[in-house]
Amino acid sequence: MNEQWRLLKTEDNSAFNNMAIDRAVLVASSKGKVPPTVRFYTWKPPAISIGYFQSLNEEVDLDACKNLGVEYVRRITGGGAVFHDKELTYSIVISDSNPKVPKNVLESYRRICGAVIKGLKHLWIESKYAPINDIIVNNKKISGSAQTRKLKTVLQHGTVLMDVDVDKMFMLLKVPNEKIKDKLIADVKQRVTSIKHVSGNNVSFNDAADAMKTGFEEEFGIELVNGSLTNMEIDLTKKFERECFSTNEWNYRR
Amino acid sequence: MQSKSVYKIPNGKLLKIFLDYDNENKLINNISITGDFFAYPEESIDIMEKKLKDTLLTRENLLEKINSVIKRYKIEFIGLDAEGLVEGILRCLK
Repeated sequence: MNEQWRLLKTEDNSAFNNMAIDRAVLVASSKGKVPPTVRFYTWKPPAISIGYFQSLNEEVDLDACKNLGVEYVRRITGGGAVFHDKELTYSIVISDSNPKVPKNVLESYRRICGAVIKGLKHLWIESKYAPINDIIVNNKKISGSAQTRKLKTVLQHGTVLMDVDVDKMFMLLKVPNEKIKDKLIADVKQRVTSIKHVSGNNVSFNDAADAMKTGFEEEFGIELVNGSLTNMEIDLTKKFERECFSTNEWNYRR
Repeated sequence: MQSKSVYKIPNGKLLKIFLDYDNENKLINNISITGDFFAYPEESIDIMEKKLKDTLLTRENLLEKINSVIKRYKIEFIGLDAEGLVEGILRCLK
């Protein structure tokens, strides 16, 4: 029988809540309290997450966020700023001693992205891994990921674009050079795609999550079993939301 | 003196350095290393920033200091490297 991992589906959470859940699962996993966990989630309202090393003021137009009702949060993972709107976000939390995940960081990106690639195949989309942390379809980015390793545990989360609004994205994100902003937007429109653009269909969150579930099961040779957060994780989520992700100290630290 | 640089690491990520330095002695007062790179463990960048204080702003000095911190704290960069970090810092002087 295949090893069983936990599957969580949590739709429509706030930015602070989403980042607090990922961190809570990481801590619970590091204490051996929960099995390896894959979560599929969405963001409500839409939100921008920035990488751990990014400067909030440098990357995000905070006035535009306020005007458009978009939240923002700093992640515990590195990487770039992401506008989370019409997408499926995944996270995987697993002990770094589990043989299913390579010790080498880049190899583990490839392996976990392999699960997303297999998931996309179940939506009739052929994609491939583009190092360091992207997945592309016909040379256009459809997914980006970020990984951290803490407490002897791997957390990788990433986005799978269901649809994309590049114009809105650039209302919210700052660009290094305003003079070439129009050209930059045109470039990004050429370089980014989504499930809707490739397949021509509106795929629901549940259908995309089902496809991704199968992708993870195939890639890792495991069975994903529906579960929910433990009481310990719920308490940790509240604590991290309150003491970390909702604070200015955290979000403006760079 | 305060300065900023934006430097795309060859085959890597976009590095943005905020530098506060003494223009006479060419010493670093304060540095903030930001960007969309990855570093493991993440806290090592805070250590790197602290260790770079009072470092002389020459290529040799910076590279030596950065490499020694990388070695001591077993830092693993993805999308960033010591040479790129040095280049980003020196571009703040231009």
